[in-house]
Amino acid sequence: MSTYEHLVVERHGPVGWLINDRPDVRNAMNNAMRDEFADAWNELNGDPAVRVIVHTGNGRDFQTGVDVGELATDGVGMERYRQSMEDFDVHFTSWHQDVWKPVITAVNGICCGGGFHWVADADIVIAASDAQFFDPHTSVGQVVAIEAIGLMKKMPVEAVMRMAFMGKYERMGPERAYELGMISEIVDPPDRLRERAQELGETIAKNSPSAMAATKRALWGALEAGLTGACKQGAQHLVSMWGHPDQTEGPAAFAAKRDPQWEPLQ
Amino acid sequence: MTIEVRRDGKVGWLIFDRPDAGNAIDAQMFVDLEAAWAEFEADDSVSVIVNTGNGRAFQSGLDVVQLARHPEALKASSRQTKRAELRLTAWHCGVTKPVIAAVNGTCAGGGLHFVADADIVIASTAATFLDPHVSVGQVSAFETIALAKKSPAETIFRMAVAGSRERVDAERARQLGLVSEIVAPEALRGRAHELAETIARHPLAHLRQLKAQLWAALEIA
Repeated sequence: MSTYEHLVVERHGPVGWLINDRPDVRNAMNNAMRDEFADAWNELNGDPAVRVIVHTGNGRDFQTGVDVGELATDGVGMERYRQSMEDFDVHFTSWHQDVWKPVITAVNGICCGGGFHWVADADIVIAASDAQFFDPHTSVGQVVAIEAIGLMKKMPVEAVMRMAFMGKYERMGPERAYELGMISEIVDPPDRLRERAQELGETIAKNSPSAMAATKRALWGALEAGLTGACKQGAQHLVSMWGHPDQTEGPAAFAAKRDPQWEPLQ
Repeated sequence: MTIEVRRDGKVGWLIFDRPDAGNAIDAQMFVDLEAAWAEFEADDSVSVIVNTGNGRAFQSGLDVVQLARHPEALKASSRQTKRAELRLTAWHCGVTKPVIAAVNGTCAGGGLHFVADADIVIASTAATFLDPHVSVGQVSAFETIALAKKSPAETIFRMAVAGSRERVDAERARQLGLVSEIVAPEALRGRAHELAETIARHPLAHLRQLKAQLWAALEIA
């Protein structure tokens, strides 16, 4: 188990927690935090006791993108950031890191700019009733690309475009995010967010870990390919479970009205 | 027969008819579905097809009880699954006429195929949507892939990993655009018929062209 300077990694039962921990700068991501994300996703992904991962933030806000202050002043950050984006060699979300366990993003307070990476790349997104979403890139002369592209494939496009063009001058509240299907649940009062995320994580952890991993691969493929192509690839993921003990255990337990005993994820 | 097939004017009705088993798809229904779609496709008097279920459920997917007790009966369908050559829905069977799904109750797992592959979906207030695959050790692929391309993906991803432990109700399904209209249970078939007759006022050749073009848009990566 590693220790981190800018993240907190915890385990509560079957749920692994990845918590942004730079509350004084609204959890903005500096160089060191970016590297820690890569390690933390790998750590939770590699731990068979962790079946579901929850990602949230310490302090008032979830995440506010890149720490522009540090990037612009430390002499290496901006060059390194530019190079990684040119090569699309990035490692800070579960999608970048090939995490095939279910990931729940639990948005507390503000999620803006680069913070949308973790909304776009999660399987499930819930938010506290004080959550606010906006994308200030264009108001500070930056282009928004990767995270907005991810969102556009998952929700109505107009809303994403509007956020991109309105920049810091308009915010979206949790009700609208829920209406649009960007998030699936609003937690009120806000201080119940973690309790609810843990509960949701434990519920999902009752399902077959191997079946969830193959399902996740098939579904994210839907965002990459056309309908028939995605179904053909989906068939490969589906068939990859054939012969797995969970495939016979599931129907047997259902028919016998008992709880299934799943194999750990390989 | 596990499928009730009826005609009413230009409207063909394809009705799941295993009400005691939640309209689950057993080996016989695999055969009957393909035959029923082919019958309507070939019948020039039918312009629009309505798909609904008898009894309380709409469709509860693969018959897991048969799968647990007589897996050999489902061999042929397993082969189809493996090759991505399922023959369950209008889309699988190459039906070129408009299809309306009228979801009368629970729509679970493989039942979502018929929502994903319909052109129009309406539901009764009693409808609920869930995907129990991962709760019985199965992978969810085709039906949720198509749904993720047609509606907000987070909802579908959540449904797929939540398994049997969560349901999307009719009102949330309408908000998200999975279905376009909710009516009282006793009004569902009447409303579906009304919609079908309205669509059938258009020339069938035009409807066929439109359907082909719109579904082609989902094929673009």
